[in-house]
Amino acid sequence: MHDNAAHRRSARSDVNRRHRIGDRGDHFLRRVEGETGANLSACYQCERCTNACPVSAFMDVKPHQVIRYIQLGWRETLLASSTVWVCLSCEMCTTYCPNEVGVAETINHLRKMATHSTIRPKEPHLAVFHQTFLEELQRFGRVNEFWLMGALNLKPGVLKDKIRSGALRQEIELGYTLWRLGKLKLIPHRCKAVRGIRALYRNRYAEKD
Amino acid sequence: MKLAFYPGCSLEGMARDYADSIDAVFRSLEIGLVEIDDWSCCGATAAHSLSEMMAVALPARNIAAAEKMGLDVVVPCANCFNRMRFSQAMIRKGIFDVPWSVTGKTRIHDMTRFLSRDDMIEKIRRRLLRPLSGLKLISYYGCQMVRPPRITGFTDYENPQTLDRLAAAAGADVLDWSYKTTCCGASIGIGRRDIQEALTRKLLAKAVRTGADAIVVSCPLCQSNLDSIQADAGGRKLPIFYFTEVLRLALTRVGRSQRWLRTHIADPVPLLRARRLLP
Ligand code: SF4
Ligand code: SF4
Repeated sequence: MHDNAAHRRSARSDVNRRHRIGDRGDHFLRRVEGETGANLSACYQCERCTNACPVSAFMDVKPHQVIRYIQLGWRETLLASSTVWVCLSCEMCTTYCPNEVGVAETINHLRKMATHSTIRPKEPHLAVFHQTFLEELQRFGRVNEFWLMGALNLKPGVLKDKIRSGALRQEIELGYTLWRLGKLKLIPHRCKAVRGIRALYRNRYAEKD
Repeated sequence: MKLAFYPGCSLEGMARDYADSIDAVFRSLEIGLVEIDDWSCCGATAAHSLSEMMAVALPARNIAAAEKMGLDVVVPCANCFNRMRFSQAMIRKGIFDVPWSVTGKTRIHDMTRFLSRDDMIEKIRRRLLRPLSGLKLISYYGCQMVRPPRITGFTDYENPQTLDRLAAAAGADVLDWSYKTTCCGASIGIGRRDIQEALTRKLLAKAVRTGADAIVVSCPLCQSNLDSIQADAGGRKLPIFYFTEVLRLALTRVGRSQRWLRTHIADPVPLLRARRLLP
């Protein structure tokens, strides 16, 4: 009897922990639809997007689920998912959706939302890579692979993780091979237009120097 | 004939060899490429992922510069091409505010598509110096060049033909395979090497099963992914050619040093010797 009661209790807390379907209204759906122009309401969960996706096996929320979760308003689950960072923007999903739902564009939009949210990215290295790329771009106007990797390794935690996983050794070996083949440009080129690019970025985000 | 040329950042570094071979091929076809003055980065996936404004504005700057030159633009890198076409589509809507005067009317060509026009193929055929007969090639397009079709303008995005036509024009035996537009993993290897390796190895295994001698690509990132994963792999290596290297081989004299052929991790020289395409 006692066991049964415990079981009932845990089942009840499971229910409480579960998202209740349909209790959030459709404002998140309307917001994402409005911002992306993707007709997310047309999705009938055929899973063709997920079947076409080359990396769906590595995602915690599969592409068709992304669309469903938006309909249900599960914003945090989506922004905290690995999906928004693992997605390659390869556009397979959008191309093969029978209802022309812009799945890739939607996931890309969620990635931007996640960037501007306070939710910790599930794939921190991928998130910091994009950020570093833009920083390097604003530094030189063009992106130099050698400097990009260097800047990335200086970001907090990146080097430590790479040493632990052995990725750093692989990276150095590859770097050496590329240098031997003459494919590593060590001195970056600085664009004359770089000031304009920086100013553009700053003005839009209303930062002052 | 003259075209504005937007090389993109890769062609200054990891894809130096691509830049060299483009130069050689266009020289031999007598088409002038004029590099866009002081071009800047297109923003690539990072701008696309993080900032809508940068995704439109960064390529717009280069499009504006090309418009001033009054020439059509030709772009060798698949991602740059995609980003420029995307920006152009947005500019044409007329609602985006960019600080450069730009109309979006200039034509932006993907390099493979430009060179696989009928007149260009004809020109290549006429100038063939060394037909690559016996060399079994498959072509790999990746994602960004063909998808999304409404941006890239490819109508045969499921089974694109531009690289196939070019390799065939160079005299090679072009094989068909089903992974032409399957993603290679792009830059995901930087954060998740496991995913990258899974995707890239699948492509290489399929290429070997298809019976290909080598793969022809046009995207610097695809080339780098497919090539550098073979650094630690033993056994038979599969050379990954830029399509312009294939054309260069067919169109120009190869000197004794063969230096420009020695820039890949999977060295193609043994294969080319075995096929009697090099001394
Ligand atoms: S392919 Fe389209 S309709 Fe089918 S599940 Fe995906 S988004 Fe929904
Ligand atoms: S764009 Fe993203 S979600 Fe869509 S198929 Fe590609 S990797 Fe998968």
